[in-house]
Amino acid sequence: MSVIVTDGLTKRYGRSVLALDGLSVEVREGEIFGFLGPNGAGKSTTIRLLLGLLHPTMGRAEILGLDSERQSVAIRGRVGYLPGGIALYDSMSGEALLDYLVDLYRRPPVRRAELLERLELSAVDLRRPVRDYSRGMRQKVGIIQALQHDPDVAILDEPTEGLDPLMQRAFYDVLDDLRSNGRTIFFSSHVLSEVERVCDRVAIIRAGRLVALEDVGALLARRHRHVEIRVRGEAPRLDGVAGVSKLVTRDGLLTCELEGDVGPFLAAVQRSDVADLTIEPAHLEEAFLEFYQDDRPAGIVGTDVGAVRAG
Amino acid sequence: MNTVLLARTWEAQRAKLLAVALALGGWGFLMPVIYASYGAQFRSLMESGVIPRQLAEFGGGDIFSLPGAVSLGFIHPIAVALNCVFAIGFSTGSVAGERQRGTLEVLLARPISRRSLALTLYAAIVLFVAITTAAFLVGVFVASALWGVSAELGLSRLPLLWLNGVLLFAAFGAIGLAASVSFDRMTPVLAIALGFTIVSYFVDVLGSLWPDAKGLQPLSLFDYLKPSDVLSGTATPVDFAVLAGVAAAGVAFALVRFPARDLAAPS
Repeated sequence: MSVIVTDGLTKRYGRSVLALDGLSVEVREGEIFGFLGPNGAGKSTTIRLLLGLLHPTMGRAEILGLDSERQSVAIRGRVGYLPGGIALYDSMSGEALLDYLVDLYRRPPVRRAELLERLELSAVDLRRPVRDYSRGMRQKVGIIQALQHDPDVAILDEPTEGLDPLMQRAFYDVLDDLRSNGRTIFFSSHVLSEVERVCDRVAIIRAGRLVALEDVGALLARRHRHVEIRVRGEAPRLDGVAGVSKLVTRDGLLTCELEGDVGPFLAAVQRSDVADLTIEPAHLEEAFLEFYQDDRPAGIVGTDVGAVRAG
Repeated sequence: MNTVLLARTWEAQRAKLLAVALALGGWGFLMPVIYASYGAQFRSLMESGVIPRQLAEFGGGDIFSLPGAVSLGFIHPIAVALNCVFAIGFSTGSVAGERQRGTLEVLLARPISRRSLALTLYAAIVLFVAITTAAFLVGVFVASALWGVSAELGLSRLPLLWLNGVLLFAAFGAIGLAASVSFDRMTPVLAIALGFTIVSYFVDVLGSLWPDAKGLQPLSLFDYLKPSDVLSGTATPVDFAVLAGVAAAGVAFALVRFPARDLAAPS
């Protein structure tokens, strides 16, 4: 079942600024969906269209089967939202703020105690005015206000901004728990390692257009790995082996790039006397940077292209 | 209307509300005191011709009677400025201020429609100006009783005077709210709402003091605040209807404009 659906979603400001151009994606129930792109790519515009804060120029968006334009109040009753760089009411205490924001949902804060414990916010912290909070504490309160009422869908914009590595890990555990409880998470981030760590699928947008939509695993599998082999005796014959490129052999040290299935490569090297073998793990960063390049032709790549239409 | 938001707004504004109400109550208290203590001296001073006669008509009535003194106090710049703390100060910041600080996004992430938000904020504005206007009249009432002049006032007409004042500041509040939902920054909102109020006041004062400018007075909302007429029992429903109409138009504009706007990410 698709929890979030956008169909040809387009937002134009005036005549000259095209902020989002025909975005069509589907986010499935119970997945953590990464939404990536450089600054100004249209990520915040998409989120705001989903929540009914902006009106689409063309196309439509749905969350939980509800239309973002006409039923945005009902949608916001079932969604938890963490804005990027969240602003809070500084004169209130953390506790009063969380009480106020959950009261507006008219739902009990069923997850608050657990979130406070996992994000290490104490009762003493909550009694202090928000104006005295550090950036990390503000972000923790932001996360808690978005998730304390146990929403069906969470939309999180740069959620780990300002969190230290330990708190980031605690937050990833929270996301894992939400996913295992069937909650759907729409996750916008610039931190590529965390997208790799937590997301099931990623969409990449650039200049308002979707350029990729893939499983994180598939994206990783397609990445070039850097390989170094030190051999005793004759070097293995890797010319023409599937996935191998940029092959260089010098003084018993062989280096190459490896893409996709490692099977043919391993089969080719196992006949050689290998003294040392290093395969650097593929990271998403290179993949994303490729998609971010401005000179890359517009179009959509990925294993999920069947679920996507170009705008 | 959203009761949670209304309760929170009350909580956030109550200290300021108390301060303004006390100040207006004190100001209202002074009017009968000044009348009882110095009214006769003022009358002989004016009758001597030293001060132009028009000044005695400012506020629409005879300032040497208790109703006249109360009327003057009601439209005096001090009373107007204190009432405008909420009619202009709160109304202009109610949406644009939240937008400028970035907190509107957190609020609208909740299941509240923009119309409900605007209506709730307007209800808060009316509640606040109702309390501050009442505080002035309570001050008048208490001092009149203490100085033994309450028989000259016509206490039964005070509720109608309260309504006249509330409608005036509710109209300014509606204009402030309409401006507030239309912009992302406070500067243009304040310029519109404050500019309108100041020009309106200036036009009314000018019409009171300069006979040639009297024709401009109906363009001012202050022209429809008639404390002297209300207290003397000669007020017409037209004044009340005009103020109510302006308030309704401002609120209607806000209810149409706010949901239609795009709320882009704060810059």
